[in-house]
Amino acid sequence: MEFKGGYAGKILWINLSEKRIKKEPLPKDLAYNYLGGLGFVSRILFDLIKPKIDPLSPENVLAFATGPLTGTLFPQASRYIVAAKSPLTDIWGSAHSAGFWGPELKFAGYDMIIIRGRAEKPVYIWINDDYVEILDASHLWGLNVLETEDIIRRDHGDNKIRVACIGPAGEKLVRFAAVMNDKCRAAARSGMGTVMGSKNLKAIAVRGSKDIKIADPNRYLKIIKEFQQRMLNNPFTPSRIKYGTNNLIELMQEIGRLPTYNMKQGVFEEYHKISGEYIRTHYLIKPRACFACVQRCGRHTAVPEGPYAYVGGGPEFEGLSALGSRCGVSHTEAVLYANHLCNLYGMDVISCGATISWAMECYEKGIITERDTGGLALKWGDPELLVKLVKMIAFREGFGNLLAEGSWRAARKIGHGAEKYVMHVKKQEIAGQEPRAQKSMGLASATAARGADHLYAFPVLDEVGFNEEIKRRFGEQYLPEMADRLNPKYKGIMVAECENFAAVVESVGVCKYGTMIPPEFYYEDIALALEITVGFKFTSTELRKIGERIVNLNRAFNAREGVTRKDDTLPERFLKEPAPKGPAKGQIVELNQMLDEYYIHREWDLKNGLPTKKKLEELNLSDVVGQLERIGILLQ
Amino acid sequence: MKFLYIDPLECTGCRICEMVCSFHWEKVLNPRKSRLRVMRVEAGLDMVIACRNCAKPKCMEVCPENAIRKVESTGLVVVDEKKCTGCTACIEACPFGAIYMHPDKNVAIKCVLCGTCVKYCPVGTLRIISPEELAQYNTARYIKKIKATFLEDLKIPEDAKREGDP
Repeated sequence: MEFKGGYAGKILWINLSEKRIKKEPLPKDLAYNYLGGLGFVSRILFDLIKPKIDPLSPENVLAFATGPLTGTLFPQASRYIVAAKSPLTDIWGSAHSAGFWGPELKFAGYDMIIIRGRAEKPVYIWINDDYVEILDASHLWGLNVLETEDIIRRDHGDNKIRVACIGPAGEKLVRFAAVMNDKCRAAARSGMGTVMGSKNLKAIAVRGSKDIKIADPNRYLKIIKEFQQRMLNNPFTPSRIKYGTNNLIELMQEIGRLPTYNMKQGVFEEYHKISGEYIRTHYLIKPRACFACVQRCGRHTAVPEGPYAYVGGGPEFEGLSALGSRCGVSHTEAVLYANHLCNLYGMDVISCGATISWAMECYEKGIITERDTGGLALKWGDPELLVKLVKMIAFREGFGNLLAEGSWRAARKIGHGAEKYVMHVKKQEIAGQEPRAQKSMGLASATAARGADHLYAFPVLDEVGFNEEIKRRFGEQYLPEMADRLNPKYKGIMVAECENFAAVVESVGVCKYGTMIPPEFYYEDIALALEITVGFKFTSTELRKIGERIVNLNRAFNAREGVTRKDDTLPERFLKEPAPKGPAKGQIVELNQMLDEYYIHREWDLKNGLPTKKKLEELNLSDVVGQLERIGILLQ
Repeated sequence: MKFLYIDPLECTGCRICEMVCSFHWEKVLNPRKSRLRVMRVEAGLDMVIACRNCAKPKCMEVCPENAIRKVESTGLVVVDEKKCTGCTACIEACPFGAIYMHPDKNVAIKCVLCGTCVKYCPVGTLRIISPEELAQYNTARYIKKIKATFLEDLKIPEDAKREGDP
């Protein structure tokens, strides 16, 4: 199969230790077997990263990749992925983001950048089509994300340069630092900004002027128009435009899934102060879209005056819940400002808010005292404290230095049972989904490759009961149980299949809004988009197999680091303590039942939760079997 | 003379029009080959920049090759690619930065109001507009703003106040 469009066709290799830059053509079989994005980095990093290395050492490899649809007109085709071994979880790490940086990289002529080694002193990479240079960044070191982007644009005299960079948090190796692009878009999770910081790499600035070719120009615009129209006609799109993701606060309150007080409960008395409606009427300037997006969930907001004045991008639901309800903070402007600071300093809002809320619960229980905090009283809901702690974490000041390690590491240092209150899976903080109120989200967090994560599977078909879509994607025999968010039945199958599809979505470079939620586009639509863009003729079954291949490869990466079934678990709180109040009152997560179903559906070994030899061979991953066996991991 | 217009507060900056333009004319996706550009300006403005087909086009005045002319019947400013030498004098002269150099052909390119982009704007408010229509639109917007202030003093039912609001 030839590719006639979509891809740029080139990989950029940069070794920061040796200051070496190399360009190589994109191998056709890599594109055919792994599509792009998540698929590319999964394959390449499995081969390049040696097991058990220190994620902050020069041996770690950092890869940025786009997909074949990134930079095209398919709705929401704006995504790139960044991956490396995670310094937060010590296993597979990846994060994705939209905005305009990914498309610009394609226009510059590259599908992927692979970065190795460590620069002696701070540098940034400047890519202007074929011209690639490693430049001194000593004047940028210490600057926040906004300043960094502005100064790079000024220095090169071009205000359409797209910048992916780290803020002070990445420089200070805060373990959940984000890679930020286009000022307010974050590739946030699993500490990819930390890896960038450890390599002394401040930014990658890109400007491109090359073509993205289209395989079938005669049919292209007509089919794109149909895709766009379907997206615009979707019943969820008007609320997406009106509220972005912020009205999920109201929705999650309604189903009891809004993480509150370090996830002790799933309802927040003062939820309306951080709700989508409240923010829209008081602080929204306008919705702003990422590249080629018709839904425009991005918010542009301002607090016009007072101590929390700012103007900028955000917030999303995750920021509002992590920094708001999770910490019990209902002071809207403080939550918005804390979210803005996370963007400025380049930090994951989820891990940041979750770590603060963990400390607050430990303080409430007397495990953390003012002796530990340097005199700070960590009271639930204190707006000033929230803002102060965000700054202290980003700059590793005082008590912030401990929190900058993430809640799992911080708890190990504190001891005295602090570990019990860490709401994590595989050392990464659980995102804004109270799993007792939606069982599939609990399972998704437990099995996700990069530690606790709602996006790796993004199982939302049971959130508000997408019965028609479940019928279309799975079949009528799974109803009504699969659509019931409190029923553990069929959730293993749903999460596994959502992971497969999400892997394809992350690989082709489109957004999960429109594919996962609302579930408008599925395999057949991606296949059609690939056909008119690249010239690939995949069937839905073939695409699904690629997704499955990627998930299995991520699992193999983690198996090398020692992950087995015992790590696919949730904090005791969700497994043993019934939800104390709200619509999900009395619920726990029936994890083992769902896990069994998940492994069986994946055809993985039930005991150790690892792929079987047969499965890997069936997915053309025989070389992976050999690699695992060589280091003593025996597969069934 | 008409030109391409979208309210910078309504535009989301998605750049779909820019890409559609490039594809319509060149059958490839490349923002540098687009006849219009989307510009994001802080704080909060997204602008679609395209030729305004000025009554007295400066680009036409400065062109040393007489490659730019104004079509009398339509008012459209057009570039004769055969005559254009790519000297960039027009780019220097345009006060809006709405005329560009084609990266491969090295000739000036600009919006000729074909209207393809308009059909793909997801907001639905990108349009080809005349100066008269734009003035009217701005007047309506201004009245909406002052209406809110005046209505506070009027003793009329709440429902009537809301009618016709955006």
